[in-house]
Amino acid sequence: MLKTLDLHKSFGKLEVLKGITTHIEKGEVVAVIGASGSGKSTFLRCLNLLEEPTSGEVIFKDQNLTVKDKKSFDLNKIREHIGMVFQHFNLFPNLTVLENITLAPIKVKGTNKETAQQLGLELLKKVGLEDKKDVYPSTLSGGQKQRVAIARALAMEPDVMLFDEPTSALDPEMVKEVLNVIKDLAKSGMTTVIVTHEMGFAKEVATRVLFIDEGIILEEGTPDDIFNHPKKKRTQEFLEKVM
Amino acid sequence: MMHICAIKIDMSSMVPYLSWFLDGALLTIGISFVTVILGCLFGFIATLAKRSRFKIFNWLATAYTQVIRGTPILLQVYLWTLGFPQIGIKIPDLLGARSGLMITVVIALAINSGAYVCEIFRSGLNAVDVGQNEAARSLGLNAHQTMRYVILPQAIKTILPALGNEFIMMIKESSMVSVVGVADVMYQQKIIQGATYRVLEPLIIIGIIYFILTTLLTSLLHLLERRLNKDAKNA
Repeated sequence: MLKTLDLHKSFGKLEVLKGITTHIEKGEVVAVIGASGSGKSTFLRCLNLLEEPTSGEVIFKDQNLTVKDKKSFDLNKIREHIGMVFQHFNLFPNLTVLENITLAPIKVKGTNKETAQQLGLELLKKVGLEDKKDVYPSTLSGGQKQRVAIARALAMEPDVMLFDEPTSALDPEMVKEVLNVIKDLAKSGMTTVIVTHEMGFAKEVATRVLFIDEGIILEEGTPDDIFNHPKKKRTQEFLEKVM
Repeated sequence: MMHICAIKIDMSSMVPYLSWFLDGALLTIGISFVTVILGCLFGFIATLAKRSRFKIFNWLATAYTQVIRGTPILLQVYLWTLGFPQIGIKIPDLLGARSGLMITVVIALAINSGAYVCEIFRSGLNAVDVGQNEAARSLGLNAHQTMRYVILPQAIKTILPALGNEFIMMIKESSMVSVVGVADVMYQQKIIQGATYRVLEPLIIIGIIYFILTTLLTSLLHLLERRLNKDAKNA
């Protein structure tokens, strides 16, 4: 569904991604782990072109997103199908919770307001925040904000969900409520790519784990392969430190 | 009548001239208002130019704001009213006597104000967290929709109070036009001074007028700010 081919990304002289090739299949739950600064978030942000790769290809379904001729396809149309959840939530503070969720369906997809609100309420129910529909994001806790952010991304009915360290900015007691929502989502068959430091979560939910180190996929495999039988020395060192 | 250090202050001497002060005050308000509106337009255009993909527009807009903010407003008023007519750049009196001069000073002030307004717009837009743009774009909103539904509504909260300050500044800075003979409240003060041989009284009165104008405007802006801040700031 989502492929990368020899993906490179540099910020000025700093080369963050040094050739990442992988293929994310429909229904997979891919956990991306690695040390800070290893390039895992940059990799994720390249998947919906929030970061423009320096070289290499990103292919979503049959569309190459990195073709030279940017006018040959509509990136906004592609992004509708790729949901993203951020570390810092990035809810729109000027809109209520429900408006946050219905904005894109109404303005981008042209869904009528009633239908969008109905879908929005269903999603809020799913993340357990129905009663918060009319409040502004500033009144929510971190965990609640992140659950709204997940509902907002789901409202576009995406084919794949990208999570960029969704629990890293949360107080410890709120991590679980967010992980549970993501877990339910993954179990329901949503194709998911999640950059995370929650190794327990990766172990339990992921179908595949990518260990990224210094801009390349150093090791990948099932959670059992990576967490119980890591082959590379760097992977072993990393896991020893974090687990 | 009272005496302070042998100076006689006689405010009653100003009574016959109150309507002159009023005329001047109205002109000051009018000039400031039109200037701010036009200044917003110029500032908006300059902001677009600064954000344009084309380097030449970026460069022009930067040159504009740098030159205007780097030179005194009095010099700019002199240039427009006295300097440029020397090389044939002059606005004719199309709308009656001295209308050309009036339009010229308003343009001079508006071009000055536009440079500051451009900075206000720019910093207001920059103050919106970059994550807001990313979140909107990741949902499939295009650049235009992102600006309209996400960025602008947030930027406006920092832009409007700053624009209000610019309006207040303009009420005071518009006094510059008195030096080229536009009959604003500052100019009236000079005329009344000449007519009555009194210096302090007219100064006190226009001081009060400026103070009332700016204070009224300030409280109006506070009201507006409070309404804008009803929904709290951060997500």
